[in-house]
Formats: sequence, structure tokens, C-alpha cells
Amino acid sequence: MPASPLVSVRLLQSRLAEVNPPVYPDNASVLHHMSDALHNSFYRVLSLLIAVLPGILAFFVAVLIFTALGMGISAVLRRALGWVRFDERIARNVAAWAPSSSPTELFARASFWGCVLMGLVIGVSAFDASYDAETNVPVRLLPYVTHAIAALIVLLVGTVVARFLARSVLISAVNAQLQYARFLSLGVKWLVLVLTAAMVLDHLEIGGTVVELAFGILFGGIVLTLSLAVGLGSRDLVTRSLERGVERAGDRPAVPHVPSGTGSSESLRHF
Amino acid sequence: MATADPISDLPRPSARTGYALMALLPPLAQDQLESILSRLTGMVAPEELLVASQNGVSAEAYSPLTVVDAPATRISFTQTAADYVNAAELARKYDARAILMLGPDAGSLSSTALHNLVAAVLDGSTDLALPFYDLPPNAGLINSAILYPVTRALFATRARFPLAIDMGLSRRMADRMAAAGQRFTGIGQDDAILWPIPEAVVADCSLAEFEVGSRALPQPPDPDIRTLLGLVTGSLFSDVEAKAAYWQRPRRLPPARVSLPAATRYTDGSSDVGSMVEGFRLAFNNLQEIWSLVLPPHTLLGLKRLSATEPASFRMPENLWARIVYDCLIAYRLRTINRGHLLGALIPLYLAWVAGHINITNSGGDPERHVEAVAAAFDADKPYLVSRWRWPDRFNP
Repeated sequence: MPASPLVSVRLLQSRLAEVNPPVYPDNASVLHHMSDALHNSFYRVLSLLIAVLPGILAFFVAVLIFTALGMGISAVLRRALGWVRFDERIARNVAAWAPSSSPTELFARASFWGCVLMGLVIGVSAFDASYDAETNVPVRLLPYVTHAIAALIVLLVGTVVARFLARSVLISAVNAQLQYARFLSLGVKWLVLVLTAAMVLDHLEIGGTVVELAFGILFGGIVLTLSLAVGLGSRDLVTRSLERGVERAGDRPAVPHVPSGTGSSESLRHF
Repeated sequence: MATADPISDLPRPSARTGYALMALLPPLAQDQLESILSRLTGMVAPEELLVASQNGVSAEAYSPLTVVDAPATRISFTQTAADYVNAAELARKYDARAILMLGPDAGSLSSTALHNLVAAVLDGSTDLALPFYDLPPNAGLINSAILYPVTRALFATRARFPLAIDMGLSRRMADRMAAAGQRFTGIGQDDAILWPIPEAVVADCSLAEFEVGSRALPQPPDPDIRTLLGLVTGSLFSDVEAKAAYWQRPRRLPPARVSLPAATRYTDGSSDVGSMVEGFRLAFNNLQEIWSLVLPPHTLLGLKRLSATEPASFRMPENLWARIVYDCLIAYRLRTINRGHLLGALIPLYLAWVAGHINITNSGGDPERHVEAVAAAFDADKPYLVSRWRWPDRFNP
């Protein structure tokens, strides 16, 4: 007698189960694997952060503390120097105080930024001491930060010097009645800025030899251009300026002034 | 009954009580020195006159005149801090009651000039006797443009030559100048310029001015305007800054003196005017950025209009020049820009004023009247200076 349909279905199912094992248990392991991988990587990142975070925190705390200390010191210094009339004493002892800020202000600012700088140094040291050397924290980052700060200082100083020199050259050239005064001033400014940029890139270890060569070529080119422009292109102007200077020197009387009443034509006597 | 003096063998104490006048002389040519000494001995008895000379003259050379050596200084176009210190020290040492300080080429001063200066301090009526030189219109331009107007407006005095090289001082005035000079000599700046008029006014010393006629004026070692203007104007600005507490109070100006007749017209000045106007235009095109840090917009507008003026009719308005000088004085005090740059940027503006002054003189105008008009403009704008000095933040170009 043949098997009943129900038995056939059950037999078929058991045979299918042997050939095609159930899917549900394998999906869970893939997901589990993925989840494990994600967890592991997340754990590594977190570990790294935990390793570095105290150092970063120490860095910012050091900087903040020293900044606050600097603000306090500069305020106290400002009051103390004002009380002893430091500006007047300096003005008496140094007949011409050329900087644009008063001596008290300069000292106060110097003390503030000195404290900030000290905070940066101590913060960097604290950052250095806080992380484990066996971790995979890039150790080259620390000295690079120092170089970056130095590069920033070089950039600031270079910009200030460039502006000062450009202004000095502009005023002197205008008073010498040189028509190319602005050109000279711009040339000097860009020379100093190019030099500053090269020094900054050198500090940041960007470009290496390429930057050095490029700077040399550019700087030399600028100097050569200026020389050609002044020597050849502005030859007539320079000649006229020099002739005017010689004429003025020749007109100036070498002996003291002749008393008035002669009616003669005389050069200007500014004093 | 006559009695012999019991102590006749002891030397009688000397009746000398110092000297009435000490004349401090710079290095002079021999003929000039003898001329001055002979004129001074005509005014003051030789036993009352002490001469301190830098010529290295022996004490017996001009007997019975007392001649002593004065320390050598680098006096050139103005009395220096060392000169004032030496004058006070010698006056103290030899107990001189009045001092006459003369500059190089003092032999060109007339006898009347010497007499006026000497008499004023001898009788004790004046602490500071200053000369009024008769100069041609092309001379003493910095004095006419800046020194006299600023000193007159701020210290309420009509002394025409605040930086005169010849002057008479009382002991009190000499001590005052020496105290001011020691601040500079103490740090080795023997050649520093001092300003007698502000010192006299602040110390409440009497001041008088006397006509001395013409004089051969010595020139600075470096007469280049680029050096001279910065040196003299910078020194004046520093002194004004130091005495700010005094000059901000309103003071009455003494009556005007009777003007001297106009000096000889300046001739052949057109080339100077042309080059100065060109220099001003060049500066206007190139120094706008720097001037805009110091000068307010309406002053820059005035300069813009001026730059479009032809050389023949070029003239800087008096009130414009007064504002320029006052704004530069404020910027000097506030250190808006580097002080060397500030004074360098002032040079083309000063030369523009000079060009206008020459034009006025060439067109027949009285140069002295022009200078007085400039000084009056400085007087009128003093409230502007005081307000900007007290509240510098209210206006910031």
C-alpha cells in the first residue's frame, strides 16, 4: 500500500533539511562577527582617545592656568608701573622712545604673552608625559606642534618687520622725491614676506629642498628685477634725482649766514 | 686817643661777593672773542664780570678781566643740555648772579643787542632775556612754521625765537635749565635740545624779548631738512607732552609787539616752490595711507584740494596747517604710528607750507604778517588740541 501524502511531505522536508541546512543560525554569526569587529575598532579608538585625552586636557588646563596667571601679572604690573610713573622715568632717560606703545604697555603685554608661552611649553610637556609610549600615538606630532608654533611666531614677526620696513622705505623715498617710491616700498615688503614665508615653510618641514630652491630662485629674481628696474629702466629718474641732490648740496652755503639786507638770492634756511 | 689795630697783621677778608655777570662763550675766532670782551667790559665793570670761554684762554690773558675755562661742548645751532648744566655749575661755583649765554658767531651781534640782553638780567627784572633776530624771510622757516606758533599758543608767550642761541638768564632760571638738562646729561645725551620758554613759563619766571638786529646764524651740522625737522620738532613735541598739565589751562596772551619792517623780498624762489609743490603732490599720492592714520578726513580733503593748486598760487591755509601740526602732536603722544615715521611724513607737509610762505613773500606780502596769521590760527585751534588730548578716543581717523 503507497505512503500517505502527509508522510511524504514530512519525508521531503527532512530530506530538504539535510540538503539545505536552516539559514537563521548563520545570519546571526555574520552579524555577530560584524558587530564584534565594529566593537573592537570602536574600542581601539576609544582606548586611543582615553590614552591621549588626559594629555590634551593637561595641555589646555596648563595653557588656561598660565593665561589667567599672565592676565593677573600684567594687570598688577600695569598698576605698579603706573604708580611708580615708569613711563615718565623712561621718557626722561630715553629721549626718544620710538615704539608705538608706551613702556608700561609693552612690559605688561610682554609679561602676559610670556606666561602664555610658558603655559604652552608646560602644556606640551604635560601632553608628552601623559600618554603611553607603547601606544600607537604618532610621536612625531609633538615636535611638529612645537615647530608649528615657532613658524607662527616667525610669520607674525616677519609680517611686522615687512610692514615697518616698507613704511620706512616709502617715507624716505618720498622725501627724496623718488618717483618710484611706492615700487621700492612694495619690493622691500615682498622681499621680506617671501623670506618669511620660506622660513615658515622650512619650520613646518613642508617642501624641503623644493622650497629652498624655489625661494632662492624667487628671491634672486626679485632682487635682479629691482636692480634692473632701478639701474636701467629708471636710469633717467635716478640721474635726475642724483643731480637734484648734488645741486642742493652745492647751493647750501658752507659758511654762516650773511646778514639780511643784501637783497641777494639765497637758498632756504630751515633753521 | 688813637689806638693801633691789634690784629693788623691778619689779612683782611676779601670783600668779593661773587660776580654780577658771567658770560659763557663758545669757541670763537680770536677777533670775535676780543670784540665781545671789549664790548662786555664797556657794559659791566671788569671786577664784576666773569668770562667762561671754551677757547682755552689763559687766566691772565685779559687781565684784569677774570677768564676761566668752560668745559667743551658740541654747541652748534642751539644751546645744548650740557651748556645749560655747565652754565649753572660755573655760576654756582663763582657765585655769578646773572648769566649771558652766547652761541657761535656771536661776534656778529651788535653792541646794542648785547647791552639789551645783559641789562635785562643784571637789574633782576627778567629771568629769561631772549633775542628777536632780524632774519630774511627765507631763514628760520621751521621756527616760523612750527616752533613759534606752537610755543605761543600753548605757553601764551610772544617770544619769536623759542630756540634762540643767545640769551640772558638769572641764577634762578639757570638752575631751572640745569635741572632740566641733567635728565639728559645723566644718560650721556649732552647734545639734547632744551626749551627755555616752557621751562620759564612753568617755573613762573619772568620773560622778556629784545630786538637784537641781524646776526650770523650758525647752521646745524646736518642741515638736511629730513634730519633737522625730526630732531627739532620731535624734541618740541616731547617737551609739550611732558608739560601737558600746564598748557591745557587757558592763559592770556601778552600784547603784540610792534612789528619790524618787512625784510628784503625773497627772490628767485620759483624753482624752490615748484620742486616743493611737486614733492608735496608726490607725497600726497604715496603717503595717503600713512596720513590717514594721523589726519582727520576734512584735513585730508583740504590737502587734496591743495594738491590740485598750481605752484604760482600755492598756499596752505593757516587753519589747515595748524590742524596738521596739532594732529601730528596728538599722534606723537598716542604713538599712533612710529614716531620716526610720523615726523618723516610731516616733512612734505612742512615743505608745502614753506612753498606757500615763499609765494606770499614773492607776491609782496609781509612774511612776518603771514607768520603772525599762522600763530593766530594756532591760538584759535588750541581748544581742538586740548579736547583731542583729553579725550583721544572720541575721534580716531
